[in-house]
Amino acid sequence: MKDCVRYAPMIGSREGELAPGEVRGLVEHLAGCPACRARAADLAATEGLVAEALLARAAARDFAPFVDQVMARIAPRAGVLGWLRAHRRAAAAMLAPALAAAALIVYVSTGGERAQVASLELSAEGEATTVIQTADGPIVLLAPEGSS
Amino acid sequence: VEADDLALVSRARAGETEAFRTLVVRFQRKVYAVALGIVKDPDLAWDVAQEAFVRVHERLSTFEGKSAFSTWLFRVTTHVAIDVVRRERPSRREAVEDVREADVAEAGEGILSTSLGNDPGENALRRELAAEIERALGTLSPEHRTILVLREVEGLSYEELSERLEIPKGTVMSRLFHARKRMQAALREYAGLAGVGAEGAVGAEGRARAGEAEDGAEDGGA
Repeated sequence: MKDCVRYAPMIGSREGELAPGEVRGLVEHLAGCPACRARAADLAATEGLVAEALLARAAARDFAPFVDQVMARIAPRAGVLGWLRAHRRAAAAMLAPALAAAALIVYVSTGGERAQVASLELSAEGEATTVIQTADGPIVLLAPEGSS
Repeated sequence: VEADDLALVSRARAGETEAFRTLVVRFQRKVYAVALGIVKDPDLAWDVAQEAFVRVHERLSTFEGKSAFSTWLFRVTTHVAIDVVRRERPSRREAVEDVREADVAEAGEGILSTSLGNDPGENALRRELAAEIERALGTLSPEHRTILVLREVEGLSYEELSERLEIPKGTVMSRLFHARKRMQAALREYAGLAGVGAEGAVGAEGRARAGEAEDGAEDGGA
């Protein structure tokens, strides 16, 4: 009985799950213990029943709406984040002008004592020239030749 | 098949919703089966399975591919299901996990295997027992249901069970032992094979074990 306490929980183990010493001990115990042999036989006879039964229940259920319900729940996130991930270049192109303007504002506002009091106005004239109005007068940025 | 899963994960991460849809369809029934085994209720299991897929989708960018996608998916499923069970019926006390002499006393062992015969696959009794599995699972504590389902449906090893359930290997073995013992006692009872030994075992367990007290409370509250 004392040995059963030790070895009964090992019944049903799979190859590689027990230490070699445990395997030897279990085999020897089973050889001399009819109760544990009966336990092992019951386990072998009923093995797989739980999986069979639950998978059969799942197979019998109508899963037609399942995937649509899942996709409906992830759709909003998939819509925005998914698009951004899939179209990184387009996203970067869209965000670039805003980021550039923001960077310029930061640069001007932290560029020195006089610049900090400058009122900044960013305007684009045509495609090639950008004029920044500051308290010290306009700054005109000319695009390189050939750029569009 | 596994490479295919990883390819689908990679496409899903890039924003292809159709790739993720394919993964859902591929695993939905097994995920549901695991959830059903743990939470018992079919509608709750449906919700758990959906939540598992949604969480996996949210965390796709963190999936490193060190384990199979299915392993990760079932791990998330298990956690969601256990959380649901805990919320619904928090454990009032720790179940006794060790194996004592009373636990290995003769309790009708061998009756099932003798009745099922040598070719259980073709046995009518086996089909009858399979039909009773859900009811038998329902008599087990959440901890016992969970470990049995993970072992049998997901096929986890002792080591994987230890990692998944965050319990030592020795506890994995003893918890599995108790879960199986109760499951087999329930099956013997349903099949009219209980006999004196099995009935006595259930009664003795009910008196002796804190884990049984928990089961009894579940039955009373259901």
